[in-house]
Amino acid sequence: MPSRRGFLAGLLAAGMAPAASWADLGSPAYLSAGKTADGRHLLAGLAEDGEILFTRPLPARGHAATAHPHRPEAVGFARRPGRFADVIDCRTGEQLSRLEPPAGHHFYGHGVFTADGSLLMTTENDYEAGRGIIGVWDARADYRRIGSFASGGTGPHDMLLKADGSGLVVANGGIETHPDSGRAKLNIPTMRPNLSYLDFDGAITEQVELEPELHKNSIRHLAIRADGTVGFAMQWQGDLGADVPIVGLHRPGMSPRLMAEDDPRLRNLNGYGGSIAFTPDGRQVAVTSPRGSVMQVFDCESGEMNGEYGLADVCGLAQSRAGLIASSGTGKVVELVQGQLRPLRSAALRWDNHLIRLN
Amino acid sequence: MMRPPLPQISLPRMPVARLLVAALSAALLLPPSILRADVVAQAIDQHILPGYGALVDTSEQLSESAAQDCDPNSEPLRAAYGAAFDAWVRVSHLRFGPSETDNRAFALAFWPDSRGKTPKALYALIRANDPIVADPDAYSTVSIAARGFYALEFLLFDADMQQTESAAFRCQLTRAIAQDIAATSRAIQEGWIADYADKMRSPQDRYRSEIEVKQELFKAVNTGLEILIDMRLGRPLGSFDKPRPKRAEAYRSGRSLRHVQLSLQALEELTLILAQEDPELQAQLATSFTKVRAQADRLEDPVFAGVTQPGPRLRIEALQQSIRNLRETVGLELGPALGVEAGFNSLDGD
Repeated sequence: MPSRRGFLAGLLAAGMAPAASWADLGSPAYLSAGKTADGRHLLAGLAEDGEILFTRPLPARGHAATAHPHRPEAVGFARRPGRFADVIDCRTGEQLSRLEPPAGHHFYGHGVFTADGSLLMTTENDYEAGRGIIGVWDARADYRRIGSFASGGTGPHDMLLKADGSGLVVANGGIETHPDSGRAKLNIPTMRPNLSYLDFDGAITEQVELEPELHKNSIRHLAIRADGTVGFAMQWQGDLGADVPIVGLHRPGMSPRLMAEDDPRLRNLNGYGGSIAFTPDGRQVAVTSPRGSVMQVFDCESGEMNGEYGLADVCGLAQSRAGLIASSGTGKVVELVQGQLRPLRSAALRWDNHLIRLN
Repeated sequence: MMRPPLPQISLPRMPVARLLVAALSAALLLPPSILRADVVAQAIDQHILPGYGALVDTSEQLSESAAQDCDPNSEPLRAAYGAAFDAWVRVSHLRFGPSETDNRAFALAFWPDSRGKTPKALYALIRANDPIVADPDAYSTVSIAARGFYALEFLLFDADMQQTESAAFRCQLTRAIAQDIAATSRAIQEGWIADYADKMRSPQDRYRSEIEVKQELFKAVNTGLEILIDMRLGRPLGSFDKPRPKRAEAYRSGRSLRHVQLSLQALEELTLILAQEDPELQAQLATSFTKVRAQADRLEDPVFAGVTQPGPRLRIEALQQSIRNLRETVGLELGPALGVEAGFNSLDGD
């Protein structure tokens, strides 16, 4: 997949510059959902330094978002059990489309475009069947629903493109829910999360499960490295007080590797990985835990923990130019560069779970 | 298993009245800015530093007692162990700053131990007659699970371990752990004195505002209450169909309920300091803590053996519920009073 800059340069050279691109917006580098002090929900675009460049209202609490690879369009997803995904023109604030899941489905809060921008994929729950679904929407034709396929498990949550753009990586969290029971978890004793690699036609090319004693460790959030390595963050649903890994790495074709398994500081995460990201050099992977109000950083090579950094209610996490950027439910945006945490911005907002890097 | 009788718990009375008087007279005399500063200063000077001071004193006493007599049945040694462990429980909610450097808090207190790492690590040392026990400084490099109060509990109170290999080696091991506890406790106290107390008093770098300092202290209360609910009570309770009495904290030394009582006291002390700018809230919280402590005292079930019987179990569950209610009040009332809001993301779970 060409970089955004490379892609635009190519178009310009060919005299085919699109009418509008992300570059027109004063270059937002991140998207995040948030909530204002008076209770309104929004989607915001943030600059590299955390400055808010725009905000657009959302009808209810958001979760994650995803940006179109070329057009200045973003899709903000509702928090599960989500009933909407809003496609927003980030220049004008205009709502271009509202996606509603088919009858009997709800969104989980994550989705991704294909590399050419033609299709949007969304994680969904076919809740009467208790089956995880990937919905397919045509981004060239006003986001018409054009199909769906099985996600390879129950409770698909985060989903990313494979590093080469040839397919999807899906975190099937394993937890069955039904809107009639709100957010109650219906199958904890028998849950079986997995990491599934899928083609765009739904064929499963690889599927990874952890050992049975970790079957209550819900695989939820993903990050991907240029070489194809997938970082996954988990949320433990078993006994409190158990020592469990929260972060793992997986290279297609290999066994997964769990980070810092014997480090007692893993307990500081309170069994909960909120977001995950690799550093730009790919050498480290980090996880946030709002329940522990802490971010931990691991060395991908050794698997050891390099450090931990306290920040109240931290959850959003993404790669920044120089390191990692994180956001919190108290409105803070901080950057972690070479082991030093420095505050960037403080807003009168509550930043929601995820900070999504745009390019 | 024979359990040694515990000394009757004579917990020092909470200085509620004194705190209230102090808060009220301060309110009459001082401008609001000084009042606000007082919360942090009082937390440091009346709660944190004395707590770690007591931990250092008692763990040095423990180390000396072990040096004099390392027999697991030695009364002075067991008494010194109890006093030092008490002092640890009273500061066990203060999980920030020097206690987190070099994993010191885990080195003092590796619990819960869901995979039985502590006995595994200790048996490995004992069976190997590992010479590392002869070198007090080197002992700090062994597995964290073989250090601290929960490891020492095995040596002093676990009948099986007391019959494994030579008494002479176990004696050395007991001394090494006791010495290590004292050294770790001193390191925490030194960290506070060297600069951490100042970092909280004059927020600049580690904390950037007084609000952040209060957030840290508030989090300590909240986390301490969570540990009571989920760990100290929740682990032995398990589920109704599957109670887990052997998961009770420090049941070998008969200290499970005592830890709940000590922790409630310590959390009450810090909570009332934090609440002092709102005397009405402070009084409300003091009443709630008093009720919950009385409820704990009435259990008279030192190791929560009652979790397996419907009647006694109900009373332990009721205590857990009361602490849940208390935590909710703390979150809804004390948090906002301090300018600290309940977590937007931490409560979300997605």
